[in-house]
Amino acid sequence: MKMPDEKPPLGPFEPGQLPLVKAPDAIWRSIEAALDAKPEPRRTSLFAAWQWAAASVLVIGAVSWYATRPAAPAWQVSRLEGSAAVDKIKVGDWLQTDGNSRARITVGDIGVVDVEPNTRIRLVAASRTEHRLTLARGEISATVSAPPRLFLVDTPASTAVDLGCAYKIKTDESGDGILRVTSGWVSLEWKGRESLVPAGANCRTRPGTGPGTPYFDDAPEALQQALAAFDFGKGGEESLGTVLSQARVRDTLSLWHVLSRVEPRDRVRVVDRMVELVPLPAGVAREKALQLDPATLKSWREELAWKW
Amino acid sequence: MEMVKITLFALALVASSAWGKDFSLTIGNPVAVALADGVVKKKDAGMAVRVENCADVANAHVTATAEGIVNGARRSVPVRLVPATTPGAFAVSHDWPLEGAWVVHLTGHCGASTASAVVPFGPVGFLRESSKFFPRAATAAEVEAVLKTLTGGAQ
Repeated sequence: MKMPDEKPPLGPFEPGQLPLVKAPDAIWRSIEAALDAKPEPRRTSLFAAWQWAAASVLVIGAVSWYATRPAAPAWQVSRLEGSAAVDKIKVGDWLQTDGNSRARITVGDIGVVDVEPNTRIRLVAASRTEHRLTLARGEISATVSAPPRLFLVDTPASTAVDLGCAYKIKTDESGDGILRVTSGWVSLEWKGRESLVPAGANCRTRPGTGPGTPYFDDAPEALQQALAAFDFGKGGEESLGTVLSQARVRDTLSLWHVLSRVEPRDRVRVVDRMVELVPLPAGVAREKALQLDPATLKSWREELAWKW
Repeated sequence: MEMVKITLFALALVASSAWGKDFSLTIGNPVAVALADGVVKKKDAGMAVRVENCADVANAHVTATAEGIVNGARRSVPVRLVPATTPGAFAVSHDWPLEGAWVVHLTGHCGASTASAVVPFGPVGFLRESSKFFPRAATAAEVEAVLKTLTGGAQ
């Protein structure tokens, strides 16, 4: 160590020739202070080991999860007729059949959907709380055993909500559709308009209007045509008159829906015709029915269903 | 006095006949009954049945069998009735095969009263207009008579 005010000696030195220099007092004080200080904890090495252990666990866990993670939701597709190009359909996928093909989609563990020829359908959701398809065009048959409102099919003119049922639904290129329920019942919904369709009944749908009025398979042809005019053709007074005059006891299904869709001044005619066909049940008040009280209409529908 | 007694007796008879409606069964679309969550789904039900004019609805009892003809052979199948959330109403489970001709024979009991119904089934469900109702248990002959309407008498 060289003192600041002295030049270092030049050349090699013989032993015993090195000059003696007294160390400054500050050096001794700093040495004593260092000896008296508590030793620094060995934080750096202990923290690093913990970090490495945690990181290792995370990496191993991430790798294990990635290797064993469940595949994206997908439903099995099996061929019923024609060529088989697809064996699974994932969320977001389209399935399209040609003129000679039919396929069966297994909907999770709740049912099956049979896809008819010339049909285009897409899987939209396949989760624990929602199983959803979009039917762009064509025809499908669905048979579902599940809690209500778990399985849904969107069409251009309505959403078919399963209430525990089996049904067929068809949509053409213009978006017009028809639903036929063979078991249980289905709710057809579109922008706040709802039609409840029980087994043995049908319901047309049309873009811009949504679901029409349900009618039974064996409803008189004149009634069916009048309902189509009433729902989609602005049939007005004439169509309503035909609906009322042609309705039988079980056509109170149709009348029950018409009641909520006529002008207020025409509700009395609908209620009168319904009561003429099936007496008003106990607990259903006529005035409340005319006011479209929801609880009253629900009770009335539940009682009428015994006649459908 | 005698006339008064006769008049009073007649009035009592009229009153009792007006108030004492017979115990009977009503059938309907399966959607007419609400079932508890988790019970057999409506799509498995062939129809609904309920008791009428029963003073003790909670203890009313209904049994059902499906009587049919399949490929010329006469068959009988027990049918489950699933209680609805409304007392006295049941969903009739479609426990018989799709092939063949079938009627469902329902028998209801309310205390000492018995009523029955024989309901034929077609391709799209029960045939209400062809159903027969009885204020007692139906006889075997009456059940066969309704079954014959489906088969045209052929077996």
